[in-house]
Amino acid sequence: MTLLKTAQLGYGADCKTFLRNITFEVERAEVFALIGPTGAGKTTLLRLLNLLDTPTSGKIYFNGQDTAKSTQLRLHIRRRMAMVFQKPVVFNSSVYENIAYPLKVRGCGRKEIQTRVEEMLQITDLKGYEKRRARTLSGGEAQRVALARAMIARPELLLLDEPTANLDPVSVSKIEEVLANTIREQKTTVIMATHDMSQGQRLADMIGVLMNGEILQIGSPSEIFCSPSNKEVAEFVGVENILSGIISQKDGALVTINVDGATIEAISEFAVGDKIYVIIRPEDITFTLAKETSSARNVFQGEIARMTTVGQLVRIEADCGFLLLGVVTKRSAEELNLNLGKKIYASFKATAVHVIK
Amino acid sequence: MRKINYYLLTILVLLSLLISFAGCVPASKDEGVSTTAFPVVTAKERFKIATTTSLYDTGLWYYLEPMFEKKYNVEMDIVYAGTGIALEYGRRGDVHAVVVHDRAAEDKFIADGYGINRRYFAYNFFIIAGPPSDPAGIKDMSPEDAFKKLAEEGKKNPDKVKFVSRGDNSGTHSKEKLIWSKAGLKYEDVQRSGPWYIEAGKGMGPCLLMANEQGSYILADISTFLAYKGKLDLVPLVEKGEIFLNVYAAMAINPDKISTAKLQMANNFINWLISDEIQKIIGTYGVAEYGRSLFYPTAGGGCKLPGCPTVDEYSKPVQ
Amino acid sequence: MSELWEAFLQAIQLIVTLNSEVVEIALRSLAISATAVVLASLVCIPAGGLIHFRNFQGKRVLINIIQTFYSLPTVCIGLFVFIFISRAGPLGELGLMFTPAAVVIGQMVLITPILMGLTISALSGVDKAIKDSALSSGATEFQAIWTIIKEARFAVVAAFIMGFGRAISEVGAAIILGGNIRGYTRVLTTAISLETQKGELVLALALGIILIALALIINVIVNLALQRY
Repeated sequence: MTLLKTAQLGYGADCKTFLRNITFEVERAEVFALIGPTGAGKTTLLRLLNLLDTPTSGKIYFNGQDTAKSTQLRLHIRRRMAMVFQKPVVFNSSVYENIAYPLKVRGCGRKEIQTRVEEMLQITDLKGYEKRRARTLSGGEAQRVALARAMIARPELLLLDEPTANLDPVSVSKIEEVLANTIREQKTTVIMATHDMSQGQRLADMIGVLMNGEILQIGSPSEIFCSPSNKEVAEFVGVENILSGIISQKDGALVTINVDGATIEAISEFAVGDKIYVIIRPEDITFTLAKETSSARNVFQGEIARMTTVGQLVRIEADCGFLLLGVVTKRSAEELNLNLGKKIYASFKATAVHVIK
Repeated sequence: MRKINYYLLTILVLLSLLISFAGCVPASKDEGVSTTAFPVVTAKERFKIATTTSLYDTGLWYYLEPMFEKKYNVEMDIVYAGTGIALEYGRRGDVHAVVVHDRAAEDKFIADGYGINRRYFAYNFFIIAGPPSDPAGIKDMSPEDAFKKLAEEGKKNPDKVKFVSRGDNSGTHSKEKLIWSKAGLKYEDVQRSGPWYIEAGKGMGPCLLMANEQGSYILADISTFLAYKGKLDLVPLVEKGEIFLNVYAAMAINPDKISTAKLQMANNFINWLISDEIQKIIGTYGVAEYGRSLFYPTAGGGCKLPGCPTVDEYSKPVQ
Repeated sequence: MSELWEAFLQAIQLIVTLNSEVVEIALRSLAISATAVVLASLVCIPAGGLIHFRNFQGKRVLINIIQTFYSLPTVCIGLFVFIFISRAGPLGELGLMFTPAAVVIGQMVLITPILMGLTISALSGVDKAIKDSALSSGATEFQAIWTIIKEARFAVVAAFIMGFGRAISEVGAAIILGGNIRGYTRVLTTAISLETQKGELVLALALGIILIALALIINVIVNLALQRY
């Protein structure tokens, strides 16, 4: 069931366009991550979704209702959401009053407020902080207060704008834990902006990639990371092997691509003559010391140009006329006696090649 | 939301405390004038008069006010103003009666329809006071000659010979202008003739103090001069002259012209001023403190100079 | 110099003996100026809030005008209000001339620019994120504005104190509009002016010392109250 939907949402000010043509849907109880580089427009988009700013074009629908209908409606809808901002924002009063704020503005009774604030203090591990002046807290503590304040009114939709961006690792994990628990128990729908790829991969059900004010791709984490739909997304999500080439031949679904003089075979829908990008995951590259017969259609001879050990893995950059990055276990590297300058063969299957425009 | 109410409540409580506390302050012992700090609702009627500064500075009103208030059960508000502004307040209806001493201005005020029921209730004389050394040498001259001499000497020696003028369209100021013209000088010329002529723009008492400070000559009414004698080094130098006659009049504001006038109370006031009882008091005011009375009552026809009021003008009760 | 010492002694004597006329004048000064501040702020704080939060054509110009009026001479204000409330003027029917209410009005006009301008300054000093957090937490526009005013409360109270100080220490409007009537509209400043003109310098100085002492006490009380909240 769709909780939130946008249609051709756009936002501009002072002759600049910050967002354009934003269209996506978020289901109930879904965790939707918005990833993108700094300046892409994530904060702008979240502010529009929180109904803090008014879009210059397009519409936002919450639970089927058009949020632009009236100010009263906007207020009611806004009261069903909550947002945690990147910089921890607390009012100049006690922790108790900060957390109680959303209930106070909704006119809740004193007893009820007391019960719920205590509940939130428990959940965010802030018991004992009631009377502390919120401004005297550390960044991590203040953000937990902000989180408690966001969650106390049991919002149906929780918007998070890089909530752990400026915090120390201990605070980060505390906050992620609180978030995870609450989301699970309350079945809250979450839209979260982050530029931390791994956070997105870990926590999200769906990911939207936002770059330069446009959504370039929406999909599950594996779709985004394994099959980025274009070069910008691919570069952003950190896909390592991106080679440019032209399709020279086509035989049904099998295409031959000309890359810097070499040919790569892949499965693709594109036509002959199309200028495309070839993407290969490092994990899909196999290194051998001698040319072997296998089902892999792409085999290239090259020289090891660089080797970097990362934990139990070794990243190997092979110069085969073009650079190919592959990854092997440390043990394999030792057994094969791989070192700089060594001649090796890199191979990968046609099915492992991802072609994008 | 509870917090706002708390703030407002505190302020309101403080304010009401102030008001009620102030209302309980006992009347000042010395004068018996009843006082309230911030009366929101006055039980008594308020009767406003504008009075010339020379009467005020002698303290005569301090003395008379409580008597009037008690007799007529009214709160009297006395505004200190030179004749010029006093008449203006009268024209605007901001006061209910005026007490001034400039016959020409009064006549115009009455002719314009603003003032009625004028009665003269007291008189005194002006003097020219100055530094004991009398650098201009005007002692015992006639008022007109003295002024002529002052202008001459002042122009020659502005450091030695100075004159402080009221400069505020008051009755005293009008008298001063009259003397200048009788001395054969045009007032505009005098004003512009040099730094010896100082236009103070203040009431009678304050001008005396300023003249004292500067060691300069000044035209003042004898009553105010005597009242301030203890603070002055100045001495009276010219005391005789018909032109020095200074008669004080009280007028009611005409209800036909000003809808908010209080004719009844104003008449009470005027009749009270010319009543035998008060006339006697006026005649003895100041004896204890200054050795002689500061004012002459008009009752009894003691004033016999030209310019003195007629019997009707000083003794006939008004309606 | 000996006059200052004499004045100080006389001030103490007047206070300790609770000289009734001095007490009455002092209370009246307090009551009039406090009322002026309270009434003016009822208008100025919401108005300042509105001006700060709404964007409109000529906002910059309006703020400049407000700031220019910080230095309005009190006599001019007195004159201006006099023309309005004199019986001959448009508000003549109210009969306000020469009453304490007239002085309150004069002082209100005097401190309105200060209260408005300083409120706007105070609100500008509050982080924009506070408003976002307030709205995001479900506050109505009005509730959000009130929250921001509370955030800026120290600066807003400073505006109050400044307004009060200016009101209680002004003389021009009080004399013109109140008439310095003994027992009715005489306040500390007009009394000081009168006593000075009468040549009673020591008494005038003593009253001045009392005025400053009063202002100090009010200041301390207000700040203490603020610390609590």
